[in-house]
Amino acid sequence: MSRGEPGVVVAGARLVWRRQRVLWWMYAINLLLALPAALRASMSFGGVLNNSLAGERLGKGFDLTAFIELLAQPEVSPAQLMMGSVVFSFLFFVFFLFATGGVLEVYRRDQTLGAGEFFAAAGGFFWRFVRLLLFLLLALVPVGILAGLLSRVSGRLASDSPREMLGFWVELGGALLLWVLLVAIRLWFDLAQVRAVAEGERAMRRTVWRALKLTGANFGSLFWLYLRITLVAWAGLALAAWVWVKFVPAESVGLSFLLGQAVVLLWLGTRLWQRASETLWYQRRFPPPAAEPAPPASAPSA
Amino acid sequence: MQRRLRAVLSTALASATLATAAALFPAAETSPVAPAPAASTFTPEKPLSERVVAYQIEARLDTEKKTLEATETLTYRNRTGRPLDLFPFHLYLNAFQPQSTFLREVRQGSPDFEWKEKYRGSIEVTRLQVVGQGDLTGKMEFIQPDDGNPDDRTVFQVRLPRPVPPGGEAQFKIAFRAQLPQVLARTGTKRDFFMVGQWFPKVGVWWRGAWNCHQFHSTTEFFADFGTYDVKVTLPQGYVVGATGVEVGRQPNPDGTQTLAFRAEDVHDFAWTADRNFRVVEDSFAGGLGPVKIRLLMQPGHLSQAPRYMQALKGTLRLYDRWFGPYPYTQITVVDPPHGGFGAGGMEYPMLITAGTTWWMPAGLLLPEIVVEHEFGHQYWYGMVATNEFEDAWLDEGINQYVETQVMAALYGEETSILNLWGMTGGDARLSRLQYRAVPDTDPLTRSAYEFMSGGAYGAVTYAKTATVLRTLESLIGEETLRRALQTYFQRYRFTHPTEEDFLKTVEEVSGQDLGWFFDQAVRGTRVLDYQVRTLRSDRADWHLENPPEEKKGETLFRSLVVVHRKGDFIFPVEVEVKFDNGETVRERWDGRDRWARFGYEKKARVVSAEIDPDHKVWLDTNLFNNSRTRESQRPATRKLTQYWLVLTQFLAQCLAWLA
Repeated sequence: MSRGEPGVVVAGARLVWRRQRVLWWMYAINLLLALPAALRASMSFGGVLNNSLAGERLGKGFDLTAFIELLAQPEVSPAQLMMGSVVFSFLFFVFFLFATGGVLEVYRRDQTLGAGEFFAAAGGFFWRFVRLLLFLLLALVPVGILAGLLSRVSGRLASDSPREMLGFWVELGGALLLWVLLVAIRLWFDLAQVRAVAEGERAMRRTVWRALKLTGANFGSLFWLYLRITLVAWAGLALAAWVWVKFVPAESVGLSFLLGQAVVLLWLGTRLWQRASETLWYQRRFPPPAAEPAPPASAPSA
Repeated sequence: MQRRLRAVLSTALASATLATAAALFPAAETSPVAPAPAASTFTPEKPLSERVVAYQIEARLDTEKKTLEATETLTYRNRTGRPLDLFPFHLYLNAFQPQSTFLREVRQGSPDFEWKEKYRGSIEVTRLQVVGQGDLTGKMEFIQPDDGNPDDRTVFQVRLPRPVPPGGEAQFKIAFRAQLPQVLARTGTKRDFFMVGQWFPKVGVWWRGAWNCHQFHSTTEFFADFGTYDVKVTLPQGYVVGATGVEVGRQPNPDGTQTLAFRAEDVHDFAWTADRNFRVVEDSFAGGLGPVKIRLLMQPGHLSQAPRYMQALKGTLRLYDRWFGPYPYTQITVVDPPHGGFGAGGMEYPMLITAGTTWWMPAGLLLPEIVVEHEFGHQYWYGMVATNEFEDAWLDEGINQYVETQVMAALYGEETSILNLWGMTGGDARLSRLQYRAVPDTDPLTRSAYEFMSGGAYGAVTYAKTATVLRTLESLIGEETLRRALQTYFQRYRFTHPTEEDFLKTVEEVSGQDLGWFFDQAVRGTRVLDYQVRTLRSDRADWHLENPPEEKKGETLFRSLVVVHRKGDFIFPVEVEVKFDNGETVRERWDGRDRWARFGYEKKARVVSAEIDPDHKVWLDTNLFNNSRTRESQRPATRKLTQYWLVLTQFLAQCLAWLA
């Protein structure tokens, strides 16, 4: 969508809202997959805290030294807890990759699919998207190398440059550049997925190539689309953090939980919003062929 | 009134001293920007210390080559009571060479450390004469008293043809040149910044009947005799200079350089710094002996943080003045190192300390405040009470760390004295305890600094464990008594070199208690202190009845049992607080000698909780979570942390899903 074509972002939001069942399902899976990791953390923390008065330093506030001491307890293994979170995050990643075909099909058709149709679409595109993922990982390699170089240069500047903030500005500028690169790559592969679903393409190398050309030719408008929705996500996170620090009492679990879940939902929603907007953008660029007009009904004979 | 009188008197005396100093440094009279008259101490006519040494040094700094060319006249007064013919000297800058003991130890502690030529530092004595005894340059001999490393050249000794008699003097005339390293540890350069510490040949200390002159190690600091320093530094104009002592002369030279003269009295070291970029922020503190001039040498990008340094420094000066005694010097200089030069930060020298901050340091992270507090504290614990930092590092670093936790708590709150940011808090004393927990049993406090298991163990034990030991000592003798003991220790031993026994005996004397049992375990030993509530149970007394009556609060009789257990080998008397559901609280005392103790109760109430050390005074306990036990589960903290973990996992999952 270009600046001259308002409406894709708004229409994307409306599409997500109309098909909000997708969002709720994604959120529910995200929550369900995170729960076992949290349960494991609960058992670990609870083994130390539940029958100890020393837990107050963490319940009625957040004493960082108490938390570090808690992590050092033999009953609590931070490495194992982290591993649990990583494993369940990976499961969610696999699910998300699997469901993307179905999600894009919902947005393409702008209609609610039954479970069978949804999973048929998801399954139909899964292995194609796995191949796309491999291309994506290849595309990320130079970004990783660039990030390493940037880190070295900015580190050296931060230490040796006469201007103290030069290293910081180089790091910030470099991080922004890397972020733009990452967004460009993500947009490229988002479009590849959208195109694969829209055109039913099976040759992923060709899809990647065409999506690259398409992204390159329309990078400004696509980036602008992506950026606006990303800003909404970050603004929401910043607002939630502010509310949490300012207004949520340290001992309040419920409010804190609700706020945290609201942000999780917002971030998930904004990612789906990007996918819906990209789908609409593609459809406006390449409208599906018009359906054959139905033959006019024959007039009843007099 | 008395205080004002002292201040007026000291001002007059200071003026007189400065007139003398000006005569000694005639160049200062011709200086167009001569500084205001000043004296180094508030009692310049009456030495505060024994003044064993008197150094006169003239040094020229080449800011391009980062080198120093200098001459030094050292007058050594033999107060040992015996003739001396052998004199050892430190050459600390030779530590910055790849085969030195210092760098070998650095590499052992940090295998990732890579040698770079820019870290090379050196000091070479080009001439050594002793007045009346001739040129002894050829008789200099490098020695390695600690480890025999033949490549270590941080100590040399010279034998005089004729001994210096007791009460006599020897005057050494030394010429030396030094190469300053890029800042690695405490001293060196970074761009236009020069931190010149441990930079001249410094004689060892005759202590406990022998010379004490250790090699420079990765974990050791310094030890030297008190005396006077008259130092002239020549360097390019445009450089702002700060130094130990006070500036007593300044002269621009025709070759574009300037010569600044400093005098310091009753100090045991002299360091100086120079930087073209320093911005000077000055203020004063109304100390117990008179106004103390505060001079902050700030990096331009850190100017906004000068008030943080200033507030912390003034607060520390005020509390030290009140708790231990007035700061006897007329000036304190705080050096703010530049970015990339933090290796020079957080270091103490007499009348000059180095701090450290960054342009982005959030207000809720009190690192600049802590470093200023800590390094100023060393003016007392090292600067005046000049213990041997090679052998008794805990006496300066540890006591200083303990007082740091007290001062920071008084200024910024016990639980927020290091961190108060975004809902997170952290107290300085708790952080010390956390560091001590990491290595509670590796080394005793009394071990020589260079003999610890590792650099990490040295830091955790010397600083953090000592602070935690002293916090725990409060529970035995009281906070106020311990403060009085420290005050007595300071007043009694300032400007001397006390030992571990001097400190421990002072504490016992002031507290009126025999604390040997505690010191043996906590100071000289490596025992671990860990108590736990092992069992907590309430049973109905009529449990055996086939059809017991319905339980009624306040009527049903319960037999309750509390078992406490000493898990560690450190024996320490503790209190145990047992709470019942009728609101009753019972406090028990347990001497901790046996491995466990059982407390039984028969009451018409169930036990609710039991807690060892309910007043939270036994900071040495390595595990505070097992110090208490509740009969019923209390889950708020667990729920809170669990939901944090849940959200973090959900976010992690979403970040990963971004790739999908």
